Amino acid sequence: MDDEHSAPHRRPYALPLPTPPEVLRRGPLREGAFSSALHEPRTAVVTGRLLGAALLTCFLTGLLSHLLQEPPTWLRDHLPSRPVDGYRVTQGLHVITGIAAVPLLGAKLWTVYPRLFEWPPARSVAHALERLGIAVLVGSTLLELFTGLLNTLQWYPWPFPFRQTHFWLGWLAVGGLLLHIAVKAPLTARHWRRRRPGLAQRRAFLGAVTASVAVVTLTTAGQTVPRLRALTLFAPRRPDIGPQGLPVNRTAAQAGTGTTPAGWRLTVHGPRPYELTMDDLLAMPQYEAELPIACVEGWSASARWGGVRVADLLARAGAPPTARVRVTSLEADGPYRVTEMPAAHARDPLTLLALRVNGETLLPDHGHPARIIAPNRPGVLQTKWVTRLEAL
Amino acid sequence: MARLLRTATAVAGLALMAYGLYGLLNDRYITDPLDVLVWAVGGLVLHDGLWVPLVCLAGARFARGPVLRAWLIIAAALTAVGLPAVLRAGDDHGNPTLLPLPYLRDYLLTLAATAAVALLGAVAVAVRRRRRRRAGPE
Repeated sequence: MDDEHSAPHRRPYALPLPTPPEVLRRGPLREGAFSSALHEPRTAVVTGRLLGAALLTCFLTGLLSHLLQEPPTWLRDHLPSRPVDGYRVTQGLHVITGIAAVPLLGAKLWTVYPRLFEWPPARSVAHALERLGIAVLVGSTLLELFTGLLNTLQWYPWPFPFRQTHFWLGWLAVGGLLLHIAVKAPLTARHWRRRRPGLAQRRAFLGAVTASVAVVTLTTAGQTVPRLRALTLFAPRRPDIGPQGLPVNRTAAQAGTGTTPAGWRLTVHGPRPYELTMDDLLAMPQYEAELPIACVEGWSASARWGGVRVADLLARAGAPPTARVRVTSLEADGPYRVTEMPAAHARDPLTLLALRVNGETLLPDHGHPARIIAPNRPGVLQTKWVTRLEAL
Repeated sequence: MARLLRTATAVAGLALMAYGLYGLLNDRYITDPLDVLVWAVGGLVLHDGLWVPLVCLAGARFARGPVLRAWLIIAAALTAVGLPAVLRAGDDHGNPTLLPLPYLRDYLLTLAATAAVALLGAVAVAVRRRRRRRAGPE
């Protein structure tokens, strides 16, 4: 038994546990059951710190996305509408780091795999609890990456709701990660720097893992990074494929908004409510803005949008500049039929009630007759088929 | 100082885990948290009980040489990330902008391209070794 566990009985969690009889030590539990020289701490540290960086970035950007999609009351008046590409970058990073974490997790878990069969299985209560923590960390991280990847394809083979489960599992995984980092800190510190001479096998392994991360990143990141577009091979979207040169998250057919009702009017509620026809809207001052649609699923696409400033529509209703806006869509149902826009976005001169995209009238799939487009916002909140604005 | 930081990290980790677990058990949209447990444990069992043993077996028995090993690692990463799109291609719920690419073709081509690069690497290694051997005895 090593030093850390040589003082039993002082604390209940340090209580030693008995070693099972040696006859049970068979198969992978045997000493030397794993032949590779790479099942050792230095390889685990190198792959582990890369994986840790990827997972923490993924968690923080994901948390930000949740806060932006459903801002808590204390935050909703402090959300900035700039930088324009803010959400595009953070959510792009969320999916890029999540995908990069797949080969990194594979490499890390393979490296430490023999630890699963360490003997005795639990030296003490503390050791047993630590191993339980590892099970939570690994189980939740595997499921988190799996559900996240499949969500980008809109594929949901599991019985639980994606968004909530992905959110809570993220806390569980990152909590497990922090605990793991704390427990392993002395061992990690000992192997943080390479000792000479280096291991040739390790160099080859880490080179292959790096190449794997590069290949999966380069073949998917083009869904949000314009310079990598030509290499987009496995991303579920390509930013230039779709009606009017833009992908669609939810089509008009899916939302039941294929034809705009005759006599469509935009209603604007506020101290002085009013209604506008399409001709009235077109008679107002028109503006253009180059803004991205940035989807939670990790793709983004820029377009030149044309229409009326939301700020102008609200001012005409007599709404104060501090007003938030409730936007209602024509769609019959859907979790984002009614959305709320923070005041900063509503008064941003770039925020439009768009009627055109890239010089053409919007097609139904892009929200005809009118849609919201605002800077630094998740795509699901860029409400399409708008029928009503309410100043709050 | 280091000890304090370590304790704080551990406490923060436990707090985050507790928060996640509490949320998972009390979210009104997650009607049956047991489903999540089944999938998490299922993933763990499939990964640790099937996938990694296969990798270890392949590594110990068949995958000799650093180049073949490197290519197998890359191929595994490509499969993990690309296979869902290959399996799902065309299943777009009536939204043609979802999964619009020829994923199976791209998957096979990428495997072939990375294999070609790996093969070139193997040839380069062999040539260098032979030259060194020839130059060696003199």
